[in-house]
Amino acid sequence: MFQSHFSVIILLAWRGLKQHAFSSFVAAFTISMAGGLFLSTWKIKEEAQKAFVNSSGGFDAVLGARGSKLQLILNAMFHLEASPGNLSWEQYELIRDTRGVKEAYPIAVGDNYHGYRLVGTLPELFQQHEWKTGRKYEVQGGGRIFSADAKEALVGDFVARKLGLSVRSKFHPYHGLDFDEKKRHEDTYVVVGVLEPTGTPADKVIWIPIKGIQKMEGHDPAAAQSVSAVLLVLRGAAGFQLDMKYNKQGNQATLAWPVAATLASFFDKLSWFEDILALVAFFVALVGALIVFATLRTVMHEKKREYAILRCLGASRLVVTCVVLAQSLLLSLAGALGAYLAYGGIGFTAAHLIREQTGVVMDPWSLDLGYLAFFPIVIVLGFVSGLIPALQAYRSSLSENLSPKS
Amino acid sequence: MSFLEVRCLKKSFPSPEGGKTLVVDVDKFSLQFGTQSGMKGESGSGKTTFLHLVAGILKPDQGEILLDGREVSKLSESARDRLRAESIGYVFQSFNLLQGFTCLENVLLASSFAGQVKKPWAKELLDRVGLSQRMHYYPRQLSIGQQQRVAVARALANRPKLVLADEPTGNLDPKNGQKALSLLKELCRENGSALLLVSHEVKVIDAFEHQLRWEDVNQVPSSTIEE
Repeated sequence: MFQSHFSVIILLAWRGLKQHAFSSFVAAFTISMAGGLFLSTWKIKEEAQKAFVNSSGGFDAVLGARGSKLQLILNAMFHLEASPGNLSWEQYELIRDTRGVKEAYPIAVGDNYHGYRLVGTLPELFQQHEWKTGRKYEVQGGGRIFSADAKEALVGDFVARKLGLSVRSKFHPYHGLDFDEKKRHEDTYVVVGVLEPTGTPADKVIWIPIKGIQKMEGHDPAAAQSVSAVLLVLRGAAGFQLDMKYNKQGNQATLAWPVAATLASFFDKLSWFEDILALVAFFVALVGALIVFATLRTVMHEKKREYAILRCLGASRLVVTCVVLAQSLLLSLAGALGAYLAYGGIGFTAAHLIREQTGVVMDPWSLDLGYLAFFPIVIVLGFVSGLIPALQAYRSSLSENLSPKS
Repeated sequence: MSFLEVRCLKKSFPSPEGGKTLVVDVDKFSLQFGTQSGMKGESGSGKTTFLHLVAGILKPDQGEILLDGREVSKLSESARDRLRAESIGYVFQSFNLLQGFTCLENVLLASSFAGQVKKPWAKELLDRVGLSQRMHYYPRQLSIGQQQRVAVARALANRPKLVLADEPTGNLDPKNGQKALSLLKELCRENGSALLLVSHEVKVIDAFEHQLRWEDVNQVPSSTIEE
């Protein structure tokens, strides 16, 4: 422990902070909070965007009623927001038969079961479509995909767990996208299968045959020949041609394509919020740096005599200066580790909330260069905030602090 | 040749009136290898300043301090730090132990700056001052007398050639003062260290064979300094 100057410096720094445990804790805690907030601001938005783009369920585009592309994507792919309107069955057939369209699945929405959406579609979605390259939907043991003409349901894994639904469970759908117990439909559906988890919004949906939604008791008979949207898988440059046809030349429907760009524009709209959080994080970081500075100054002033004694024992100015710098490094090290912990807590909560609300699985722990660079940045900032007290320690006069009074 | 030789040494401090007050004016002073000297002087007469000059803590305005053949006043600050770390032990009136460190750590720290840390020696020293059972106690857990004994052990930790003791019994009752003084002298003798002790107490100085009066060494009258 006392064999090298380095170990003596670290020991002196550590004991000095220990003697001012409360101030040291407050300083490290403030850095942790600032760092955690900063990391959260930056990483959660980035990871959420990545997770949303990766959760598009293997679709390239969505065709829906004329309106906002973002609303169309949120409604058809993420089962959020209201449907912007309907398309006719003929429009679905038209796009299905268009050259360049590899797959087309109509969906119909408008009902829920205890707040979880019922989405009507074709059984082929679960038989043919790959929600991720090389991955088709799988039904958990003992179940099967619904029949196109029966009142049967295939339940997402998340909903099944939340509502306790399993094969042979029966339920009555409720009208509308929000749960209202007064709006119960008389139709009875039977669960015939539970999907294996996919980590996509499909997990939080109750899938039923599209005819079920179209012909649900109490629905407008006109709805029987309409769909809410069509989910598309495209070939080659078909996206450009369809974009031209529907968005630029036509006025009957909207093609939301490409999905990633539309989602990026959505996250860009949130940038003002991110800016505010970044500003808050900046000020918390500033306060953190000032607290480190104040703590080290206090420690330095209270220890002037102690440092003078050390000098009297033969410690050089450099050793005493290094002790103060080591204290700033120890505080920032604790702060940086605390920041990762704080981010862990915030990230975990955010991932949980996003999963609950959208079914999208976000990975807040994914490593990238910026995430790793954060650590040395905090250390350098802590080091900088310790420079002035360290300089004062360097300059403090041995004779004055051990000044003879006689 | 003497182990410590001081010639024409002068040190003054700024006075509140803006001038300078001469505190130390020593024409000649010497100390032989391994000798133990007690120097009596009134409080506030410049004895501590003299010890600080010898230890290289203060730089003189003029004059020479030769310690083991090296001129202390001409050494750089880092060389003086090294000199203290390697060759000088210091005992303060107020002990000046580091409160965040145990007795053993206080003693080990004193030898760490010279790069000659020897735990068995530190333990032996604490054993010699009767604190082998309290090595891991913090200073606040010890009595005043015990604290000064730790300070004595610390002063010897780097096996110094010279031990400077500044009123080491000033804060102790007569019994503890006597004990600390005996230990200091005994350990210095065993270690072959020269000892220069300054005190205003006659009883303390009487314990030394070689006695000096600060008034005879310093040419500045005490009354001038106090003014």
